[in-house]
Amino acid sequence: MNSSVENNISEKKDFVVSSSSLKDVRSFSREVFSKVNLNQDLKDELVLAIAEAAQNIVKHAYQNQETDDKMEIKISLDNGELEIGFFDKGRPVDNSNVRHRKIDDVKPGGLGTFFIKQIMDAVVFKEGEKPWINHLILTKKINY
Amino acid sequence: MSYKVTEEDNISIVHLDGEIDMDVTEKAKEVIMPLIEAKKEVHLNLKDVQYMDSSGISVLIESHQKATELGTKVILKDISKSVLKVIMMAKLEQILNLG
Repeated sequence: MNSSVENNISEKKDFVVSSSSLKDVRSFSREVFSKVNLNQDLKDELVLAIAEAAQNIVKHAYQNQETDDKMEIKISLDNGELEIGFFDKGRPVDNSNVRHRKIDDVKPGGLGTFFIKQIMDAVVFKEGEKPWINHLILTKKINY
Repeated sequence: MSYKVTEEDNISIVHLDGEIDMDVTEKAKEVIMPLIEAKKEVHLNLKDVQYMDSSGISVLIESHQKATELGTKVILKDISKSVLKVIMMAKLEQILNLG
């Protein structure tokens, strides 16, 4: 195994809450996952899940409104437990309103959450600790 | 995202290139929708699309539905591996026209 590849990691970064930040979110995620020993298909899926969650912050927590606010994304991998945290200061998320489209309902929208739930093992919304309002946690057990 | 539109036998071929996310979906729709509204058959060449998220998939669904409504069709051509994976994750491979 490449000596520069590791299986435990914890990195975080702030991004302006904007659709134009999504490419930077993907770049950050790809860079973090380039340091760990995961297969490329799984890395691509995880990047998609992270970008979809970030997109949901832009679309739902901030309702596409322009802001200078930042969101923080933290990716941690510890002994096969991957945890991705999203922190934002937008509108509080009502967990009961978070739903993905039904599988036979072909319409635009609701797909992002559907993808996240397909890729990750668990999706948990928490009230954020100050200064954050929302704290979303995505987790997945990684089998090497 | 960049794009190129060519015409061949009354078919509009749209070559999309790059990453298609929420930031570029309006631009993609501005290119594709007028062709559908002109009732042309549209082929979307996705060979050079390296990444597509749910917003990009929504553009494919909207395009397909608009074309069906207007009696024409949108066919997805040369779909890159990464885009095909997302289409399949969305369970749309039987619904969209994959050519």
